[in-house]
Amino acid sequence: MEAFGLLLHGFAVLLTWKTLVLMMVGLVLGIFVGVLPGLGGPNGVAILLPLTFTMDPTSAIVMLSCIYWGALFGGAITSILFNIPGEAWSVATTFDGYPMAQQGRAAEALTAAFTSSFIGSLVAVLLITFLAPMISSFALKFGPPEFFAVYLLTFCSFVGLGREAKHKTVISMSLGLLLAGVGMDTVSGQLRMTFGSSELLRGINFLVAVIGLFGISEILLTMEERLALRGHAASISLRVVLSVWKDLPKYWVTLLRSSFIGCWLGITPGGAIAASFMGYNLAKRFAKDPESFGKGRIEGVFAPETAAHASGTSALLPMLALGIPGSGTAAILLGGLMVWGLNPGPLLFVEHKDFVWGLIASMYLGNVVGLVLVLTTVPIFASILRVPFAAVAPMIVVSCAIGAYAIQNAMFDIWLMLGFGVVGYVFKKIGIPLAPFTLALVLGNRAEDAFRLSMIGSGGDLKVFWSNGLVGSIATLAIVLLFWPLIDALLGRLALTGRTKAASG
Amino acid sequence: MRISVKAVGAAAALLLSAPAFAGWEPTKPVEIVVAAGAGGASDQMARMMQAAIQKNNLMKQPMVVSLKGGASGAEALMYMKSSEGDPNKVLIAYSLIYMLPLSAKIPFNWRELTPVSVIALDQFVLWDNSAGPKTVKEFVDAAKAASAPFKMGGTGSKREDHVLTVFLEQKTGAKFSYLPYKSGGEAATQLVGNHTESNVNNPSENLEVWRAGQVRPLCVFDKERIAYTSKVTDTQSWADIPTCKEEGVDVQYLMLRAMFLPGKVTPEQQAFYVELFHKVTQTAEYKDYMEKQALKPIFLTGKDMVQFLEEDDATNRSLMTEAGFVAK
Amino acid sequence: MSQTDLEIVVDDPTAPEENSPSVTSSGTVEIIVCLLLLALAAILGYDNWRTGASWDSTGPEPGYFPFYLSIILGGSSVYGLIAALIARRGAADTFVTRAQARRVMAVFVPTLLFCLVTQFLGLYVASFLLIAGFMRAVGKIALWKSLLTAFLFTAIMFVTFDIAFDVIMPKGPLEAAFGY
Repeated sequence: MEAFGLLLHGFAVLLTWKTLVLMMVGLVLGIFVGVLPGLGGPNGVAILLPLTFTMDPTSAIVMLSCIYWGALFGGAITSILFNIPGEAWSVATTFDGYPMAQQGRAAEALTAAFTSSFIGSLVAVLLITFLAPMISSFALKFGPPEFFAVYLLTFCSFVGLGREAKHKTVISMSLGLLLAGVGMDTVSGQLRMTFGSSELLRGINFLVAVIGLFGISEILLTMEERLALRGHAASISLRVVLSVWKDLPKYWVTLLRSSFIGCWLGITPGGAIAASFMGYNLAKRFAKDPESFGKGRIEGVFAPETAAHASGTSALLPMLALGIPGSGTAAILLGGLMVWGLNPGPLLFVEHKDFVWGLIASMYLGNVVGLVLVLTTVPIFASILRVPFAAVAPMIVVSCAIGAYAIQNAMFDIWLMLGFGVVGYVFKKIGIPLAPFTLALVLGNRAEDAFRLSMIGSGGDLKVFWSNGLVGSIATLAIVLLFWPLIDALLGRLALTGRTKAASG
Repeated sequence: MRISVKAVGAAAALLLSAPAFAGWEPTKPVEIVVAAGAGGASDQMARMMQAAIQKNNLMKQPMVVSLKGGASGAEALMYMKSSEGDPNKVLIAYSLIYMLPLSAKIPFNWRELTPVSVIALDQFVLWDNSAGPKTVKEFVDAAKAASAPFKMGGTGSKREDHVLTVFLEQKTGAKFSYLPYKSGGEAATQLVGNHTESNVNNPSENLEVWRAGQVRPLCVFDKERIAYTSKVTDTQSWADIPTCKEEGVDVQYLMLRAMFLPGKVTPEQQAFYVELFHKVTQTAEYKDYMEKQALKPIFLTGKDMVQFLEEDDATNRSLMTEAGFVAK
Repeated sequence: MSQTDLEIVVDDPTAPEENSPSVTSSGTVEIIVCLLLLALAAILGYDNWRTGASWDSTGPEPGYFPFYLSIILGGSSVYGLIAALIARRGAADTFVTRAQARRVMAVFVPTLLFCLVTQFLGLYVASFLLIAGFMRAVGKIALWKSLLTAFLFTAIMFVTFDIAFDVIMPKGPLEAAFGY
């Protein structure tokens, strides 16, 4: 088994004191940002990314992915203890997790959350381990038309699947695409939308935008809400952990279903948020007594957590193999890869074996270490919430500014961050989704370049997007997804008429 | 470790501020400004120099690589322009200093900076996929016979790779569709995946895929062959690649790699860096790097350098004008 | 489960009153945002049209996509505008109450000042002032605690970034006086 040998090699790369220490540091930092209101996974990774610029890529990615795991675990802590989802995908966890905590079953809920996160990620990592080598040779087949088709698929899935009002998704995405185009156009070598400003020459860095949109705006929002937090301190005894684990086999269908949903949504860019809700909804739909959900049912914690983590993890696969991030955090890690001089894409698996398998091995190790760490330190992290917000808020502001400045050493970026903070605050309040904006800002330029390179290559013939089976099926899928709500409605009506006919007949 | 170096540096700076020492030395970390993205040829070179300076203790202050690859490197040029009088920033420049102001109307002129030294010349090689034609002649014939023009990959638009492609068209009569990628690495990958028929990458950009047997070098765009004779692949060395002229296509182009300080620095400050980079070119790290990346070693400074730059500028300007890449 | 009986209560004495009057409704803000986006779309659209927005022999020109995106952005803003105007006749949701606005400003204004101070005095001085000032003025935390926290945090940041990782932050006259 080639993958197995490579994985062992990956572990060998990791098992040095330096890497293990970095791993622990990353996990602790991650849990810290996950628990802090106003930070969280993507933001934490974005803010701490510049710290790793001077490290070698393997150490850097190990630390960042551990920050990521830590943040995922941390998000579950606040969702369950305080009903504050640290992340959008933790929202579904609060539905049953918080009631459990109120009934004095906090320890049980936390154990369930951590264990199911672990299971979800493990399934996804297994998938990555065995699919990655195949993906890399498959990925060489990707030329400009194929890349464009995939970008199109990503954009269409956002428009088609999002829950927000369609026109708001379109506003968010087109604004992101426009801002992505600011600066120099690679294909023609011409400047555009810079209005003669040399600050705009370098374009709008998406990390700066993300720090503002999420970090700064979240503080404004948190400040506006009533800050009365009530929660239950929890310590986890071995007995509770074991009793939850003993019951695990009973829920294997839920766990498996959620893992599957998560992996699928992670690889086809749909995101962890959709996965967690879908996992929860399906568990509820298939349960014998759906009414008991939302009142403190342990399955209501298992289902969304497993799905969210499976998708968060498997989102790294398309990022590594194709250079297409499946989630917000993966998008930030993608930016990191490029900073370290690693070109995510087909050759990454060939040219940087150490890095790729080191990363995959770190997913296994990071998960195990994270699970142990988090089970033992819950009370400490929960106490962060007792630090007055008046002290935490300015520190977050300073961290955001440092993060924004360090990316390009530009004062202008701090102002840009502030501007995006206000934009994020207003957009969140009037329901314009930020995810499509971020996605568009990351992928906009690449999608456009891929499209125009395809056109140059084909002499301006649009048929190039249906020129072979690979690109044709992706492009068709994209169109189907774009019109999915319509198709879904049509199918629904057909089924309905079918059923009424059957009933009447 | 680094802290102690800094402390020594600060102490030394205090001592040096006494008039007894005539020479100038940086008192802050020195930034090497790279006008390209991470991992590109300029970045690699900057990191080599950083390592050479730190390992051989050529300077008391640490050196920091600062990537300013935005807007195809225009960001770095504007950054240097706005840092007038700051002796703690050195730009590692290449042909973009001539081409960007012409093609994108960037308000920049290299004469506004302080030239330090030219430290290397970079080659260009015509590559094709290892499954493609085996010689330049076969390649040109195949390109002419093809129903759709051959696709040529390169870095950026209206830059050295693009100019070379235009001249290749003029000399051979074959037609190419030029595909501008974001980096030489991407152009290499796309050639391996058979999405382009050829590219004109620098040796360093295609080195890894050449060693993997995925691409083939057809000819080098220079008057003479590359000097390095040790084997790079199982059977070939850089010196085994024929020049394009030998193969009947008379196109030549060499690209400078040169160091610049911002404008309005003192002659002492300039002298310090001339000396520093001269020392760098004597180190084992530099020599190793030159061979590995198949670069042409050179060291020009002072009047020689200015004369070289003026001539090089004129050549590039006429190439750009002929190719029709000068913005109106 | 005796361990979970201990309750953490984090109460916020300065929480906004629930009955505070509304400053503006979500509908109004939506209208303003849509108008701003429309203006942005017009400016960018014009600039891209000037750059070249047609489709020449080798595919689209540099301004092609941004130009049509501006039109899409403009179109969806107009749609949003109309939708908001229609919805406005119904029940108006509160965008922000006066008490909330005061609290948001209590964070936003210091952040704005922080950016200004960073521009002129460097990040570390600004960071110290922001943390100490915010803790004292907004959090009503004892002066010495505020000063100490601010100093420690700023010092840790300085050591981490400027010294350990060589990530150079904007600095001003104070750091220059110490030779940095």
